[in-house]
Amino acid sequence: MVRMVGKKKSLIRLGSMLLITALMSSGCGSNSPAKTEDKPVKVGIIDTYTGGAAVYASDSLDGFKLAVKEFADKGGPKIEFVTRDDEFKPDKSTSWAKELVMREQVDFLAGTTNSAGSLAVSQYAKESKVPFIVWGGMSEKITGEAGHRYVFSTLPNTAIIGKAGAAQLSKSSYKKVWLAGSDYEYGHSLINNLWSNLTTLKPDVQKMDESWWRVGETDFTPYINAIRSAKPDVLVVGTGGADMVAFMKAVKATGLNKEIPVWAHTSYDPSTLRPLGDQAPEGVMGTNPYLYNYPDTPENKAFAEAFKKEYNREPAAFALYGYMGGKFLGEAIAKAGSTDKEKIIDAMEGLTIDTPVGKATLRKEDHQVAIPMSYGVVAKVNGVFTGGDLHTLNSEEIMPSVDQILKARSK
Amino acid sequence: MDFATLASQFFIGLSRGMIFFIVSAGLTLIFGVLRITNFAHGALYMVGAFIAYSVSTLFGQGPYGFWLALLVAPIAVMFISLVIERGLLRFIYNRDHLIQMLLTYSLVLIAGDLVKIIWGTEYKSMHIPEALRGSFNLWGASLPWYNAFLLVVGPVVALGLWFFLSQTNLGKICRATATDREMVDVLGINSTKVFAMVFALGGWLAGLGGALIAPTTTISMGMDASIIIYAFLIVVVGGLGNIWGALISSIIMGVGEAFGILFIPGVAIIIPYIIAGVLLILRPSGLLKSAW
Repeated sequence: MVRMVGKKKSLIRLGSMLLITALMSSGCGSNSPAKTEDKPVKVGIIDTYTGGAAVYASDSLDGFKLAVKEFADKGGPKIEFVTRDDEFKPDKSTSWAKELVMREQVDFLAGTTNSAGSLAVSQYAKESKVPFIVWGGMSEKITGEAGHRYVFSTLPNTAIIGKAGAAQLSKSSYKKVWLAGSDYEYGHSLINNLWSNLTTLKPDVQKMDESWWRVGETDFTPYINAIRSAKPDVLVVGTGGADMVAFMKAVKATGLNKEIPVWAHTSYDPSTLRPLGDQAPEGVMGTNPYLYNYPDTPENKAFAEAFKKEYNREPAAFALYGYMGGKFLGEAIAKAGSTDKEKIIDAMEGLTIDTPVGKATLRKEDHQVAIPMSYGVVAKVNGVFTGGDLHTLNSEEIMPSVDQILKARSK
Repeated sequence: MDFATLASQFFIGLSRGMIFFIVSAGLTLIFGVLRITNFAHGALYMVGAFIAYSVSTLFGQGPYGFWLALLVAPIAVMFISLVIERGLLRFIYNRDHLIQMLLTYSLVLIAGDLVKIIWGTEYKSMHIPEALRGSFNLWGASLPWYNAFLLVVGPVVALGLWFFLSQTNLGKICRATATDREMVDVLGINSTKVFAMVFALGGWLAGLGGALIAPTTTISMGMDASIIIYAFLIVVVGGLGNIWGALISSIIMGVGEAFGILFIPGVAIIIPYIIAGVLLILRPSGLLKSAW
């Protein structure tokens, strides 16, 4: 009996080995790259598909897929893609980038919600000369001091957000400011940029103190209680993701918004307001790069409808970033008339395309996308929480100057 | 700094400590009896929060939803724990600690993916029931009702655990197993059953912690990682396997962190580690004796 089982096992083993060999050889056969000019451009996407930040990666991926589909429907440039999960770990991002370039032989890299991951992949992109489109990492360093020919960003970074927030706050009469945020790259970079811009625009502001909480903080009441007792004129917060929702919840639960004005980027974004339901803190100020219902233009409506038809939900900001990533790439391939990486990069530099939020340009000097941004407050309209008192800051107002970028790079 | 601020900050810290206690009590109980470092404890806490969200949503986030969630989620997590213990853990009790860690760590990864498949990636939020919303005046400062509610739940759980461990026969067997497993076997007591029960109880506590924290925060993947570090710190500082040690160190952590946030807000993030470091230098084997 035992021997029988052993024989069976070895037979199965032999069989499966044969099968695998067969599969592998057939796979290799079909994989041989076609050396024609209209071969598809292959994009390797490295992003965070598990863990707390997965919501952004799935939004940007769906946005990108929509752009790819639109090109395919038009018969335009063919774009293929593969995805890898970096689990929000920068070292994983780099090893996947290497795998994608060496084994999958991708022409472009894209993704990385984690800013540190973006910077790490960007470094590899520079060494391997494989262009990298960032639609997740918001660090200003990506297209700032660490920028180079092979990295592009299709989302507003912390320098832009900070400048926009400073523009909004400079219109107020607040003097004593308390700064707070999540203790990581995004939080610090956003707050630093906002503060340096605000002191330029409004020299009489003074900083009372700063509080920093860890990423993934679940209980904000001790922070809020401490800040409330210091009685600042305004509380400026740089926090993102799940922490943002939890923070807003705590603001409502403690009634802080009724005592002290609060500013936080994306305070009236659907990704923040939807989980809050009827428990959103009214009056919290903020800036926002994209809303599916603002700007109220036919282009934005068309995009929101197309996205909803495909994925059964409204597009969030990261859907726009992924979509723009795909759009810029496709348009650049069409403009270059070639799938050669260097030619596509040349075409991408300074490229202006139509997007749901109007004309968007990938700035020639630093490869940073320039799009407008809205500012407003959390308001209740017809019983539903949304952005109220909305105004637009156009991209020239909020982009860091080219001189500033070049100065940072030469350091 | 006025008295009202200090007092409210103290109570807020204390309520923070209560959540720490409920979660770390389960972890330390499992370690004490089963001698397993259960990395998946944070995952069970996360699953508890997600189940609480689902139950509450089923009832339109209404008042019944919250109370039912508080009842159902810990029990559901208890059953999940039972399946984990009977299906996986019982095969590795005599193996290396490394193997045990690998197994429980793999459960963390599996739980993360399962949560993503079942609940999706979008942030979930559960409402605080109407009766516990808002805050009340405490000598001029304000304290949210929900924190006050946690200050009631924490001691109730601690009392319940004390009653179970020192007054019931089963509890006494648990303590005996923690002290000397072989002796318990020699006496003819089925320690397998005790193991399963303790692991389930630990899971229940993790689920309760998750259900209690759910209304105050964002329910998202990754919340497991943020609690497990605290839980391990507390368990080590309190004395491995000692529930009362966990209670004391939870309170020290919660209150200490709250005052850190008040006095040195810029670097408050490192306070728990400083507390843990100092306490471990003073008492390297933990505040109280390991196991009972």
